[in-house]
Amino acid sequence: MQLAESQAPVFAPKKTSKSGYIPGNLAIWAAILAEMSEFAVMFVVYFLAKVHNPEIFADGPLHLNTLAGTINTLVMLTSSFFVIRAVIAMRADKPVVSARWLWGAAISGGIYLVVKYYEYRWNTAHGITVETDLFYAVYYYVTFNHFLHVGWGSAAIVWVIYRINAGAYSSTDHEGLINIAVYWHMIDLAWITIFPLLYVIR
Amino acid sequence: MSQIQLVNRLWIILIGLTLFSAFMAEQPSQGLGSISIMALVLAIKGRIIVDYFMELKTANRLLRTLMQVYFYVIPAMIIAAYLFPEQIAQWATLK
Repeated sequence: MQLAESQAPVFAPKKTSKSGYIPGNLAIWAAILAEMSEFAVMFVVYFLAKVHNPEIFADGPLHLNTLAGTINTLVMLTSSFFVIRAVIAMRADKPVVSARWLWGAAISGGIYLVVKYYEYRWNTAHGITVETDLFYAVYYYVTFNHFLHVGWGSAAIVWVIYRINAGAYSSTDHEGLINIAVYWHMIDLAWITIFPLLYVIR
Repeated sequence: MSQIQLVNRLWIILIGLTLFSAFMAEQPSQGLGSISIMALVLAIKGRIIVDYFMELKTANRLLRTLMQVYFYVIPAMIIAAYLFPEQIAQWATLK
């Protein structure tokens, strides 16, 4: 892997050499790949638990709040859209616009957390807890882990907004923004995988 | 098409695919066809985010491949867990 600064996109990604550029820095990609591996282990646990317990995994999604899961999927995808729009705005040398898009993403993260909180309360009111059965144990383990990621990811976005407002980034130098952007997309990728596995597929 | 127009359209597509998944979740029964469609929807959504939101389409090839592999393997696992649950359970059982 090569860090080729000269190949980094200035206004939009362009075709590069075989190795290609790395958005952000290597440290954030080490974190992203580690986190994706962590979620992969959880998904392996899900599949193994499912094939050993087909009945409870077929029944479990029927009792979850599909509306809450769907709203949160729409919110996560929209927050990812806001983040890429923030990156595009920064490349166009519009830091104020970039910060506004990031506020959209941070608020989306907040909405996600509130919806998830009410979903957990709804579950409890309907007798669904971590001890109900193996499906819900997996559901709580995976979704609460993701909940934490959205929490600190949102906080990191607010930090980047502060940095933008402090004039720390320019159209050609905004690695910190790219780092949180790709990290946030990773959180989104984890959720779009969780949604079908736990809420949709029986 | 500008990058802004592209990501705007992709966002609409992602929203549409999610609403389609929610509709599938409400269906009374799920067969191989619907499971395969849901696996395909996940693969498409993952590919869009990796290539166009993370901007890995023209980025470092290893990085792009590592991220893309996820959205081949998990959809394949979804279909495999539907088709061969007993065999997988057998392979994953310690004797």
